[in-house]
Amino acid sequence: MSELEDADTIFIIGSNTATSHPLVATRIFRAIEKGARVLVADPRKNQIAAFAHLYVRHRPGTDVALLNGMMKVILDQGLEDKAFIADNTEEFEGFKNLIHAVSLDEVSGITGVSVEDIQTLAETYAKADKASIVYCMGITQHTNGVNNVKSLANLAMLTGNIGKYATGVNPLRGQNNVQGACDMGGLPNVYTGYQPVTLGAANKKFAEAWGVSELPSKIGLTIPEMLHGIEKGEVKALWIMGENPVVSDPDANHVVKALEKLELLIVQDIFLTPTARLAHLVLPGVSFAEKDGTFSNTERRVTRVRKAVAPVGDSRQDWQIIQDISSRFGYKMEYDSPETIFKEIASLTPSYGGMTYERLEGPGLQWPCPSPEHPGTPFLHKDGKFTRGKGLFHAIGYKPPAELTDEEYPFCMTTGRVYAHYHTGTMTRNSKSLDFEVPEGFLEMNPADAEALDLCDGHRVRMASRRGEIETRIMITERVEKGVVFMPFHFEESNVNKLTNPAYDPIAKIPEFKVCAVKLEKVS
Amino acid sequence: MIDRVKQKINELLSGGSVKGVVALANANGHVAPCLFQKGDDLQHLSLGDRETSGDARYPLNKVLTTIARQYPDEVFGVLVRGCDERGLHILFRLNQLAADKVVPIGISCPETLALQCECKKPWPDEMTAGEKSQGVAQKRVEAAEGLDLKERFSFWTEQFSKCIKCYGCRDICPMCFCKECSLECEDLVSKGDLPVDIPVFHLTRAMHMADRCIDCGLCEEACPADIPLRLLYKKTSKIMNTEFGFTSGMNKNEISPLSMMGPAPKK
Amino acid sequence: MDYRNTLTTCTYCGCGCNFFLESLDGRLTGTIPCKTSPVNEGKLCIKGWNVHQFVQSEKRLTKPLMRKNGELVEVSWDEALDFAASGLKAVKEGTGPDAVGFLASAKVTNEENYLMQKFARAGVGTNNIDHCARL
Ligand code: SF4
Ligand code: SF4
Ligand code: SF4
Ligand code: SF4
Repeated sequence: MSELEDADTIFIIGSNTATSHPLVATRIFRAIEKGARVLVADPRKNQIAAFAHLYVRHRPGTDVALLNGMMKVILDQGLEDKAFIADNTEEFEGFKNLIHAVSLDEVSGITGVSVEDIQTLAETYAKADKASIVYCMGITQHTNGVNNVKSLANLAMLTGNIGKYATGVNPLRGQNNVQGACDMGGLPNVYTGYQPVTLGAANKKFAEAWGVSELPSKIGLTIPEMLHGIEKGEVKALWIMGENPVVSDPDANHVVKALEKLELLIVQDIFLTPTARLAHLVLPGVSFAEKDGTFSNTERRVTRVRKAVAPVGDSRQDWQIIQDISSRFGYKMEYDSPETIFKEIASLTPSYGGMTYERLEGPGLQWPCPSPEHPGTPFLHKDGKFTRGKGLFHAIGYKPPAELTDEEYPFCMTTGRVYAHYHTGTMTRNSKSLDFEVPEGFLEMNPADAEALDLCDGHRVRMASRRGEIETRIMITERVEKGVVFMPFHFEESNVNKLTNPAYDPIAKIPEFKVCAVKLEKVS
Repeated sequence: MIDRVKQKINELLSGGSVKGVVALANANGHVAPCLFQKGDDLQHLSLGDRETSGDARYPLNKVLTTIARQYPDEVFGVLVRGCDERGLHILFRLNQLAADKVVPIGISCPETLALQCECKKPWPDEMTAGEKSQGVAQKRVEAAEGLDLKERFSFWTEQFSKCIKCYGCRDICPMCFCKECSLECEDLVSKGDLPVDIPVFHLTRAMHMADRCIDCGLCEEACPADIPLRLLYKKTSKIMNTEFGFTSGMNKNEISPLSMMGPAPKK
Repeated sequence: MDYRNTLTTCTYCGCGCNFFLESLDGRLTGTIPCKTSPVNEGKLCIKGWNVHQFVQSEKRLTKPLMRKNGELVEVSWDEALDFAASGLKAVKEGTGPDAVGFLASAKVTNEENYLMQKFARAGVGTNNIDHCARL
């Protein structure tokens, strides 16, 4: 993260950094202090936009169009890094042909950003010595999220801004231990350290270590696929640990219906969440303050979690719950502490191989850290080298979002966070200081729209999409453009995910939280 | 210096004149506030200097206040630097701590730290260890005063716009203890939105701290937006000094001019 | 008298700030950012500063709950764990391992995520495990 401080241009797209990743914003503010130029592209004018060299407000879901427009300018003006492209990348020709066919006027029409601004964005980024890109869920939570990310990679490769200090394409992870959950194999296709379940060698290694004759090699189901499986009667039991899909997943009504169909729903959590209320069995785990373990942050740094106080009531360590159920199920587990589990992780995961609790004292370690002497790896992709050979260009054309506005649903709604809350609010809304700051949900709306609907600040509206409806209070602000409304997703009583579209990206399976069409009506 | 401090803590604890000593300790590869009690190993004691002097200072008076509130009848020792001692004077006066229940263990600050803090008095009156270094002139304030009004205005507006409303400046401050915080008063500061009300949020705090801030600098170090808060409070304190001849905490028994009614006392 | 500062990592966002959880006699009293952490250098956001507040909330779950006659009622751990194990076993034996799904979490530790996927794969025999990272 500290690397960002030394970039001379930072392009922030689809990230409300000051709110969602405050300590990353710190680095960006420092870079600005040192003279860096910041470019911000976001449908909603966020706090950092006020410090931007240029802020552009592109329409939700038009990221690829905007990026292609920028790359068109770069190629037209010959600002690309020819040597870098020749030495380090492949498939440039196909990409170039696609970009050549792009028309800036069309891009401007699609995105709502002027040709001049697209030019400035492109020139500023391309002429920088060390340019970093920062993105977050505003890029990934779309039906074409993977294409958005690939387009950002195209942009970075085109200008040689990758594989060097203070450059690159930097994703900001949404939740605290997303990195860790992925690293640990909390995914249907990989074991720890991204070792594929389909790969014979990895499959064998884990089967041996875990003392079973074989392990399934068929890729499992993602969350949306599991929900679908439940509906078809193929998935009958679900064990949810520490998640609250009824509030966090798109099309909440549909999620509830699916969960109600299960023969067995086990929910392990620290509060009785709306998801837990549907369960057959609720298991009280413990909070981070009552347990030992490790988290892995967005810069791959593994640090310790330490038990500060005894668990409340009869709640139990989450690892112990899993161990006990597993043993009773017939698969014996006999760990005596999280540290023993961590030793096993290190022994099976090359990137964590050199880590021990003792070595994690102090600043922690960033993976890959393959051996006991290895100091960890603060920067990936040094010296313009990619992990797997050369960087690949992808020719990606613009595709509109899955759901467009129409006469019946004329507003484009997008979702996000507020500074005082986190995710589904399970923890933050039980904190008195945070609840004081922002006690209820609200909908941001442009003054022109408010006037047309005869609404004043604080009035209540009924908002409906093709999937459901909710009521909420409105906040009038120019942060959003006419025709676009924004709502945070932390509030179960005005659960915006009753409206969002579960259509998801075909590869990453990330749902399109960021764009859906809604209609609004004043509540009298 | 640390040996002298250890010796003193040992004396206090084994003699039974204090129940515990609030200081710093090395733990888990970092430095943390710690309560030493009789029988505890003082080997891990730290004075808050890691890579540079004073880089691991923490608001120990705040820690002491938390503990003393729960154990009002016990006597505690506390590790103090010059600024912390000034803080104690005020905390006694405002009844947050009882003077007869606190035994300060004073240490002086080296010149490097004094320069970095631009500290007027980098030593406590009651000193257990260390040597006095010079007080330092307030150059940062002078430089800021050198800007013309327009420049000053845009400088501060820009700085304040970075605020992410973490309340860290308040939460780390050893002199912030109000039950009802003026930053949470909706008649002054609106809530629920970023950026915060500019300049109300920051100036409200500056005013509120005018006779309390002891210039320890912890707020500025805790500010994720790198806003030069200490500079702001130094300026406020300078105004207090020029107008009323008052420097908060400097004089043990001095009463704040802001807590008195009527015209300003003659200089 | 038991006053402690326990160094730990924030549970809220991917920055992973380090701080001390301050406790007095078993009650959490505050959060103090760790100044020597390279991640946050003594700074936190509003969520981090108040993270100790939800931990000992009245609303925390303190006992296992099981649905009986449509209502969630308190049960013993023994009953709860047996119910979970036998329920999962019944589904596996009745329909097959792929009829069971698991949601791991970005909110729990690496060790706990590891254990859950191990149970899913080696215990039940399915790769149906995912988490809400996409959200
Ligand atoms: S302000 Fe700085 S130099 Fe002065 S006493 Fe405090 S720590 Fe020491
Ligand atoms: S310098 Fe900041 S933290 Fe220290 S007393 Fe003054 S306001 Fe409080
Ligand atoms: S510490 Fe800085 S960012 Fe946080 S509230 Fe204070 S001024 Fe704002
Ligand atoms: S303190 Fe704030 S910025 Fe740091 S990890 Fe927690 S939520 Fe993220």
